[in-house]
Amino acid sequence: MSDLHMNFGLQPHDRPNDDDAREARHQVLATLLGAYADGELPPETVSQIDAHLLGCAPCRREVELHNVVRSRLSREPLLAVSTALRDRIIAELARVRSSVTANVTMAPPARWQSSRAWITGAVLIVAIAAGFGATRVMRAVATPHPATVSVDVATVPLFADVLDDFHRVTSSDLPGRARDLDAVRAAVPFPVQPLHTTGASLLAAWSTDLRGEPAAVLAYRWRDRLVLEYLVAEPVFFRHPGVRAPIAAGATITAKAGSQGIVAWAAPESGVFLIGDVSPTELMALRVGGTGR
Amino acid sequence: MTLSATSLDEQHARFQTLVLPHLDRLLRFAQRRTASTGDAEDAVQDTCIKAWISFADLRDADKARPWLYRILRSVLSDVSEKSERRRQLVDITRLEQAHEELVGGDTDVVFSEVAARLDSEMLSRALSLIPEDFATAVELHDIDGFKYHEIAEIAGIPIGTVMSRISRGRRLLAGTIVANRKAWGIGTPDGSRPGIRHRLGSDRSTQ
Repeated sequence: MSDLHMNFGLQPHDRPNDDDAREARHQVLATLLGAYADGELPPETVSQIDAHLLGCAPCRREVELHNVVRSRLSREPLLAVSTALRDRIIAELARVRSSVTANVTMAPPARWQSSRAWITGAVLIVAIAAGFGATRVMRAVATPHPATVSVDVATVPLFADVLDDFHRVTSSDLPGRARDLDAVRAAVPFPVQPLHTTGASLLAAWSTDLRGEPAAVLAYRWRDRLVLEYLVAEPVFFRHPGVRAPIAAGATITAKAGSQGIVAWAAPESGVFLIGDVSPTELMALRVGGTGR
Repeated sequence: MTLSATSLDEQHARFQTLVLPHLDRLLRFAQRRTASTGDAEDAVQDTCIKAWISFADLRDADKARPWLYRILRSVLSDVSEKSERRRQLVDITRLEQAHEELVGGDTDVVFSEVAARLDSEMLSRALSLIPEDFATAVELHDIDGFKYHEIAEIAGIPIGTVMSRISRGRRLLAGTIVANRKAWGIGTPDGSRPGIRHRLGSDRSTQ
């Protein structure tokens, strides 16, 4: 409170008829009387105000007004949190915690990953030499199964924006064409590479805005469903902690909102969202069958 | 993400110990800034999740409550708290004038009696009619019991600004209550006339 050790020109014996001087002091006091009533001022300032109040009824009324308002507000009852809400919060915290635990298990440090690759190679050679299961082993090694973390769409603004835009776009004709891909690449400051999953065909490409930042959108027909891929710049993708934490743990983020599934992951210089009327699990298959971005 | 499962368990237990006791207060603060109880509950849940994600940022357990309020305010700003409230704002000049009449002795309203008859719904309504920054400062101090330096930390403003916001916020709140007392049916104890003799302050003779 050292910043309050000021002399406000207050005199112990104000002249009641000195209207201009009193008004000037009232203006100075206006921002102090609340703190005075709350006991938040240093003793020196309190003494000055005490002296001023002796001769100034409006300021005394002002102090009492502060006391009355504070007293009334302090009696506002607490809202008891329902058992259902408390349980919901505890369950949600446990879910988030278990996601993190899963990531700790499934995303080992790079040094271990390197060792694992070496060991995997050795296992593969043994399997081939043994003459059985080699193809299955090779597929398992070639196809990554990243850890996933599920988030609530409403808690991560970018997910909510992707969902909103998906609803908007799918309610009418698609805004672009497949041959617009080069124009889209020129319109955004990050690489745009379509997925090359078997069975997925590129229908259209266009650029848009998500949270006021440029985004690229690619539309695919996959398993006779429409799936949209949104790409945003790295800083936009990593802005929210609900994205940063799972990605830092090496996870792919999934979400579900009604019939729509969403998966998101980090790509070079960008973040990618896949969204469609399919489950996140199916979208994961579309992702891992793609370019591996 | 280098935490072991055991340390995660410990952190989670510590988090629950520090956070769960404050849920009631967080809900009350959120309720006055959202359209429904459901929205307020969602905001409190989001606050808890965000708090867990950034739990490492909390260095001092004694500051858990202001830290949670700071996160809650961030969550609430995402659900357009201000636009909802500002749509209802009344003329500030009118409120200032009502306040001036009150402390200047130009009205015979007994403010303490009017305030005593305010129910929670009227109080929430009155708080929603003054600018959000002022209402927040007043509520954090008078309802939630924070000290000025804690409010400065929660709102990210200098302590001098906290002081002026609380002071002006209470004046505007009093002006709002006085200006709306008839409409809210709390004009006088017997309801027969809008006010009786002035009783804010000890006397009028020394003016």
